[in-house]
Amino acid sequence: MNFDLDQDQLDAAAGAKQFFTGQASPAQARAALEDGPLAPGRRALADIGFLGITVAEDAGGAGGSLLDLAVVAEQAGAQLAGPSLVTAARAAVLLADQPELAAALADGSRAFCVVDGSGPALDAVGADTFLALVDGDLVVGGGEVTTGQPMDATRGLGVVTLTDPRVLVAGAAALWARARDVALVALAAEDLGTAGKAVEVGVAYAKERHAFGRAIGSYQAVKHGLVDAWVGVEQLRSLVWWAAWAADAAPDELPLAAASAKAFAAETLERAAETCIQVHGGIGFTWEHDAHLYWRRAKVDRLLLGDAAEHHDVVAGLVLAGALS
Amino acid sequence: MDFDDTPDEAAYRARVRDLLAQHAGDLVHLDAGEEAADAGEQEQALRRTQRVLAEAGLVGVAWAAEHGGQGGSLAQQAIIGQELARAKVPSLINHIGIGMCGPTVIAHGTPDQHERYLARLLRADDVWCQLFSEPASGSDLAALRTTAVRDGDDWVVNGQKVWTTLAHVSDHGILLTRTDPDRPKHGGLTMFVVDMHAPGVTVRPLRQMGGQSDFNEVFFDDVRIPDTERLGEPGEGWRVALTTLLNERVAVGGGGNDLGLSVESLARLAAAKLPGLTAQRQVLARQAVGRAAVAALGNRYTGYRRLTAISQGGLPGPEASAGKLAGTAAAKLVADAGVRLLGDDAVFAVGTGDDEAGRWQRNQAWLPGIAIAGGTDEVLRNIIGERVLGLPPEPREDKHRPFNASGSTR
Repeated sequence: MNFDLDQDQLDAAAGAKQFFTGQASPAQARAALEDGPLAPGRRALADIGFLGITVAEDAGGAGGSLLDLAVVAEQAGAQLAGPSLVTAARAAVLLADQPELAAALADGSRAFCVVDGSGPALDAVGADTFLALVDGDLVVGGGEVTTGQPMDATRGLGVVTLTDPRVLVAGAAALWARARDVALVALAAEDLGTAGKAVEVGVAYAKERHAFGRAIGSYQAVKHGLVDAWVGVEQLRSLVWWAAWAADAAPDELPLAAASAKAFAAETLERAAETCIQVHGGIGFTWEHDAHLYWRRAKVDRLLLGDAAEHHDVVAGLVLAGALS
Repeated sequence: MDFDDTPDEAAYRARVRDLLAQHAGDLVHLDAGEEAADAGEQEQALRRTQRVLAEAGLVGVAWAAEHGGQGGSLAQQAIIGQELARAKVPSLINHIGIGMCGPTVIAHGTPDQHERYLARLLRADDVWCQLFSEPASGSDLAALRTTAVRDGDDWVVNGQKVWTTLAHVSDHGILLTRTDPDRPKHGGLTMFVVDMHAPGVTVRPLRQMGGQSDFNEVFFDDVRIPDTERLGEPGEGWRVALTTLLNERVAVGGGGNDLGLSVESLARLAAAKLPGLTAQRQVLARQAVGRAAVAALGNRYTGYRRLTAISQGGLPGPEASAGKLAGTAAAKLVADAGVRLLGDDAVFAVGTGDDEAGRWQRNQAWLPGIAIAGGTDEVLRNIIGERVLGLPPEPREDKHRPFNASGSTR
């Protein structure tokens, strides 16, 4: 039994933490709501190699595992970075046999967006290359993007109408399903980082803020809420690691693990973000404070790629079909 | 990262599995949630089961050889636990002795006590209990009132303990008493080994809400305990008790095993019951099953992280409290989904059909106790909040006052 990160992954996490802390922040997520640029942005993510973590080495990537990507995605989530590593992870699976496009993903020369039907697509804003499943085939093409006023501008959400699609892979349903499961894991990993950060910010404030003569974190009503959020984060970490490990080492377990991680991520991040606001009281409800930026991420991410109810149903279906026996 | 045994662990697991198969005829086997018909016969069978396992070298493996153990690792201990569960051998009758009392005697007892107690404890020649909680001190254990007063070479004990698991079959117990009420509450305690058959010890079984009698109230009326049965110095009882409580966390917080009926049991029940439900009810039932499964898997894989730490030679810290907290919550979701799948049959404590309904009902009625025993959910949240997250404790007004002036005696 060795269910822990290895030293390379711990080092990668530390490096990623330093990078994202320097290159992205809740302040920049707030600025993006008022038309500021995405931080760190596609160029910086490509330059440090994060868009190609799971792209094959001969296509210019690092040839890493999904777990390698997940530890970096957690740090991206902690700083509300954009564009998402969800798109990078998902496109890398879809482009596994397309070395030129995969190279363009890794080096950032193309801006990819993966489109599910007619729903809003992640990282659609500013994208130039769109991947979709049409009549069972994987297609690539341009697209016209329609956006609303964003809840969370770092997600780049938009509804896409494909233009000039051409078939890349015929009969790609299984490939598409695997890529979608990989996307669920990467999204859960980003949410893990955001949830952990929201708890950390809430705990720090509960130690510092005094009311009725003592730190509010000493009151059980406040303390227990933070503890429940923290316990959720640690349970989520276990599900994310399991799912990321399964993607490469036990593909049969991936559908159950990915759906479990996504369902749990949705509710864990929501609770962490809401607790963070509540612990901060009035200040947590202001535009200037970071709490609402974690909350925005929570309220958007929980709906992306299927909500908790959808994934609980997927888990039930797999469990009923004997996935645990 | 992997979930495989190391070659050493795999070899050890194979050996354990062989031994359990070899001795299968001498061991009790029970399905989860199954109950023995005759409690008295069951006690004898469970004592025999533990003796057979001890003679096969499968009890107390992580204890040092000088104390009757195998000098093995906590990882080996975890493997034995998994293999016993796999073979459907129920918990050892002396699990409290092995998990909590024994380690306390090892850490604070004299060589003479080691000699007299430990080997017999491992073989279940003597069953042990832990005499800590009292009617007026559960979560606030250090406020206990049972007194021990020095008299010549003895101590004379008066008071009452409660929620004492296994006291009705126990031969010995570790007993936490107040020996100096003039000191602040943590500083006036002393721990003893008590002979449960001594004059003045009265054990009265308590009936739990589910109808079973696993625990007891225990009365001490002028019970004499020789000073040679003291564990640690007078006034050091709190420090000794912390040894017990730390080991309790190791025993309970452990490997993320499902508490109560497993999520696999729920999957089997759901597969049988779902086709009989309307389409709308199926949607709701699937949501409940999915949610329970995700919670159970989250807890299971978090347990694997703790097992990894143990396997690499670490000790579980206060984080282990999170395992019990999340495990209890997951178990309640599993139990609730299961009971609701039984539908109308769930209004009976034992159903009208096979025993499936009874198993789920017993499970449901057992879980409220699990959220209380060994640290209530609220105490666990305090431990995590203060010792993991570093949040300040609530003021404890009686902490520094003499016990008899602290208000805790009211």
